[in-house]
Amino acid sequence: MFAEMSDAALVQCVAKGQHEAEAEVCRRLGPRIRLYGLRHLHSASAADDLVQHVLLKTLEALRAGRLREAVKRAPFVLGTCRMTVLELRSSQQRQEHLLEEFGGVLMPVQADPTPLDGERLARCVGALRERERSVVVMTYYDETSAIETGRSLGISEANVRVIRHRALKQLRACMEATA
Amino acid sequence: MTREDETSATCGRPIDPAVLADYWLALLPAAEEEAVEAHLFECDACDDRLRGIIEMAEALRALAHSGALRVVLGEDFIRHAEETGRRVRQYDFVPGQTVPCTISADDDLLVARLAVDLSGAERVDLSFRDPQGVERGRMNDIPVRTDAGHVTFQESATFAKAAPSSSMVARLLGEYFFQHTRTIPGRLVGTGDRMH
Repeated sequence: MFAEMSDAALVQCVAKGQHEAEAEVCRRLGPRIRLYGLRHLHSASAADDLVQHVLLKTLEALRAGRLREAVKRAPFVLGTCRMTVLELRSSQQRQEHLLEEFGGVLMPVQADPTPLDGERLARCVGALRERERSVVVMTYYDETSAIETGRSLGISEANVRVIRHRALKQLRACMEATA
Repeated sequence: MTREDETSATCGRPIDPAVLADYWLALLPAAEEEAVEAHLFECDACDDRLRGIIEMAEALRALAHSGALRVVLGEDFIRHAEETGRRVRQYDFVPGQTVPCTISADDDLLVARLAVDLSGAERVDLSFRDPQGVERGRMNDIPVRTDAGHVTFQESATFAKAAPSSSMVARLLGEYFFQHTRTIPGRLVGTGDRMH
């Protein structure tokens, strides 16, 4: 019932205190919040903490009727993500009291994406030009900056960026072509 | 229909995959990053596209860490790998030198450093030959720092661990450009030979 419901209708159901509607809100927002957490916190467990915290704050606001206007919802969730990441970086305090109150409606968010076929990717990387392969390996090994990569390989920072973009485009095409 | 076509059909202003890749690598300026995130929180199509970018990024990270690729690397990379606990087996070569080498099961990366003066080289290839001189592999137009005094490359640890005892010759082939100006008839002194 709730899975097919529009965001606006879902918000109204949450405001009326329907727990299944809250669960659907979690299902829709959780994966997106988790990606934000992975990007900024570099830890799956920290990203999971972020999901819980932001969903709790969002449910609070929805229950209180503060997010009835659609234009406010995404900025609210993103803003809460940003604030929470800042707080998590300065403190590891958990929001246990909120979890106690709302924990029942939280549901596990989707698992990490299925890994790509490593052997196929290795073949595609092997087909890149030498400097493209070097830039890709150095970039993704430990997120080496374009400046460092360029300095090590005798390539300008701007050219490293061009080479990286070109290589990734070729890799996507190669992976799709050989799928 | 490609994945990009599908995304374009459902998002009025889809984020370029290159921008998403840079976003995931934390390489965007702050203002652009905020704009990307604001869009991602409202756009299912670009959110899906980001997931594809992340899959690729994670797979590339795993591949880079595996040491399975033959690839030219920088010295900073090697140093950083060691500092972060990777076991890097390294061999230094000077031209004409034969170096006994091996790799153990515990080694993560296998690196060779070939001493060479590349001053003035416009293009460098690295060729691998068997003892009979038959080329078995070639890395064309490798990235080099012409002032480094060496070329550092990672041999595939996966390949090396599985390979039988054997010999291999690595040859660095530099391409130097000589732009000759013809001798002007009748002049007895001074030549126009120049090397660039």
